[in-house]
Amino acid sequence: MSDADQIQGRNREAQEAVDRASAYEWGFTSDIEQDFAPKGLSEDTVRYISAKKNEPQWMLDWRLKAYRAWLGMEEVSWAKLDIPAIDFQDAYYYAEPRQKPELKSLDELDPEIRRTYEKLGIPIEEQKVLAGVEGARKVAVDAVFDSVSVATTFREELKKAGVIFLSISEAVREHPELVRKYLGSVVPQRDNFFACLNSAVFSDGTFVYIPEGVRCPMELSTYFRINAANTGQFERTLIVADKGSYVSYLEGCTAPMRDENQLHAAVVELVALDDAEIKYSTVQNWYPGDAEGKGGIYNFVTKRGACRGARSKISWTQVETGSAITWKYPSCILQGEESVGEFYSVALTNNRQQADTGTKMIHIGRNSRSTIVSKGISAGRSNNTYRGLVRVLANAEGVRNFTQCDSLLLGDQCGAHTVPYIEVRNPSAQIEHEATTSKISDDQLFYAMSRGLNREDSVALIVNGFAREVLQQLPMEFAVEAQKLLGISLEGSVG
Amino acid sequence: MLRQAAHDGWDLPSSRDEAWRWSDLSALPGIASQRPAGTLPDALPWLECANDGPRLLFVDGALVAGRSRLDGIAIGPVEAEAAGHPLGRLVPGDGWTLRLGRGHAPAAPVQIVHFGTGGANHLAARVALEEDAQASVVETYVGEGWSNRLTDIALAKGARLMLARRTGSAGFVSLTDRASVGEGASLVVANLAAGTADTRLDGLIRLAGEGAYAEAGGALLARGRQRHDVNLVVRHERPGGTSRQVWRSVADDRATCSVAARVEVAPGAQKTDGEQSLKGLLLSRAATINAKPELEIFADDVKCAHGATVGELDRNALFYMASRGISEAEGKALLTRAFVADAIDRIGEEDVRRAFGAHAEQWLGRAHG
Repeated sequence: MSDADQIQGRNREAQEAVDRASAYEWGFTSDIEQDFAPKGLSEDTVRYISAKKNEPQWMLDWRLKAYRAWLGMEEVSWAKLDIPAIDFQDAYYYAEPRQKPELKSLDELDPEIRRTYEKLGIPIEEQKVLAGVEGARKVAVDAVFDSVSVATTFREELKKAGVIFLSISEAVREHPELVRKYLGSVVPQRDNFFACLNSAVFSDGTFVYIPEGVRCPMELSTYFRINAANTGQFERTLIVADKGSYVSYLEGCTAPMRDENQLHAAVVELVALDDAEIKYSTVQNWYPGDAEGKGGIYNFVTKRGACRGARSKISWTQVETGSAITWKYPSCILQGEESVGEFYSVALTNNRQQADTGTKMIHIGRNSRSTIVSKGISAGRSNNTYRGLVRVLANAEGVRNFTQCDSLLLGDQCGAHTVPYIEVRNPSAQIEHEATTSKISDDQLFYAMSRGLNREDSVALIVNGFAREVLQQLPMEFAVEAQKLLGISLEGSVG
Repeated sequence: MLRQAAHDGWDLPSSRDEAWRWSDLSALPGIASQRPAGTLPDALPWLECANDGPRLLFVDGALVAGRSRLDGIAIGPVEAEAAGHPLGRLVPGDGWTLRLGRGHAPAAPVQIVHFGTGGANHLAARVALEEDAQASVVETYVGEGWSNRLTDIALAKGARLMLARRTGSAGFVSLTDRASVGEGASLVVANLAAGTADTRLDGLIRLAGEGAYAEAGGALLARGRQRHDVNLVVRHERPGGTSRQVWRSVADDRATCSVAARVEVAPGAQKTDGEQSLKGLLLSRAATINAKPELEIFADDVKCAHGATVGELDRNALFYMASRGISEAEGKALLTRAFVADAIDRIGEEDVRRAFGAHAEQWLGRAHG
């Protein structure tokens, strides 16, 4: 296929995506027999989950410790979010598909699950590789269907490179020494209410270990998806990049349409040792609820990376268009000398969505640097908050930070807020923060429309331009998907 | 009129409270338990002004009538309330009131000197300007102890008020302001925190009329273990308002300067123009600067921007001056002065600007020897 054909193909896809109805396109439910843990949360639930996964005693003890700590904790209330009371006893904490396959390829998957993935649009690149197209870019997928990893591709090739890419429950069994060493070392159990809950009941997730000096031969990817009604999803991701290694990790999310609000409380921990680099990209497109704010996912995520080694680097890129409520602050603890933290974010809220998201950059190491670029887009009756912290500790010489937070408002019923904290205890630091708030000007719209675009496409074009700095940080496949998402998510918001 | 608040059951906020996360009020009960010495000072820091206006001297929160000139300012119960504010609510309802009728514009500023001799004193104030009235008020805090103030400001259509404050005392000064700015009215609040007192400034400025203007800012100069702490909200309630917040913080030794400033734009307050500039300068290794420039916006046709920087003096500029034969100490002093001047030079009234400039100069002279 020539380049021109490819580009044409992409354009067509983009056009199709824009043409689709404004209703949540991926709101479907697959019917697969599921095994549920009894409803509600107690020590027994925790034991049930642990037993289901054949976990060793230390893992169960760790979970129980978290559960007991969680009982004494309170929900967070400081965010600019209106969170309805959540009944933690009225949810299932564990659900897994009945057939639990050990699969070599996606072909062997339950066709029902397979179709689900197709509807999800598992990337073309991935499909190409499956079809045996030579020279296709490789992406390894660890797909999470509700709570259990059902398929992991490319395992062999990764094994050759020495990369460990497993579901976390497999990792607990196969590499207990690594999991024990790093699990909870970046996000302690008691870090916050939702991280603590996750520590007790996490159902599955991903474990990645890149050995010293290895550049991971492909991009690693996980597709999260919430399927069964009323099962909270508690993913746990742990990525360790040993000295001098590199990994790029993609996380994409969609969830089917449900009326009840669904809770999602994930924890992601990243550890980068000397000279290692982790690039973590997210496109989050969970069901945001309908135009009146009914339904939708509650997304309470704790993501944190520790740049433990000298010259290590952690880069977070996120495109957040989904979820009824987003509470998420991917952060970097910059312990190593000359370590680098980056945060690139596009958060789009429409209708009644609420997002309170941002980052923390904690500078501990000398000459550590960080960059924050946040683009918030509010439409409908939504609220979109950037909340960030840049802290420079007393011994951190020569720190630099640059922060830019821009907000774009579409319509006069929505809100855009910026809450940055700057705390500096070392005079050699150079900290700069800028923020602007704007709307799409009539001139911009007029120009785009005079070139033959309709109003909706013009807005999508301008919004994509606004978010460009962030989108270009995404790996290619994701960038295309993300652009489409921005357009789709804004449908119906332009008068 | 000396007021002694009931010190038990104060319920002072802690750093767990969001609006007080950078504050340290732990010294207050200790200061409040001291006995005021009550001695009157000889020399007072009155400003040299072209015209003499009203002068009020408060010692430990009580008016010294013999050394004051009221000229129409009322002393007694004051309509001011801040029930929800942990320090503001400690102020009982007595103090001074400046009320100007339609179109009144006295040429001379109102000067107020607050002199503390120890212990805690609380005082309320109200400035109410009717349509198109104009006034300037200059407050100076000297002495020691804890001076706690609650000030209510109401500006009717087209009224203009300039309120300038400087703290040069020891102990603790806490100021709580509640202001409402009417249509086309203008409020300028300028602060200079020097001296050795810890300060806490709480402001809520509501732009309640169309096309209102508000400016709140100042210079915070801190050394030793001093703490200056600002928590300011400018709320645009009606369309067409303009606000400016310009803060310059300088922290030396182990001192801490914190500024949390928020611009709020209410639904419907279109054509708002809000700007914040918060800059911090660290002069020593152990000093701390905190900044929180916050925007909360519920309207789409607005222009809101903020900038914040923290750092030390520009090495390139210092090098340049050194290459021109200016000593390091002098170069640092020059740059620091220029940094602080950003905030002080915004004071429109020349007499006041000069006095505040000289006051800052005095502080800076000590910083760079």
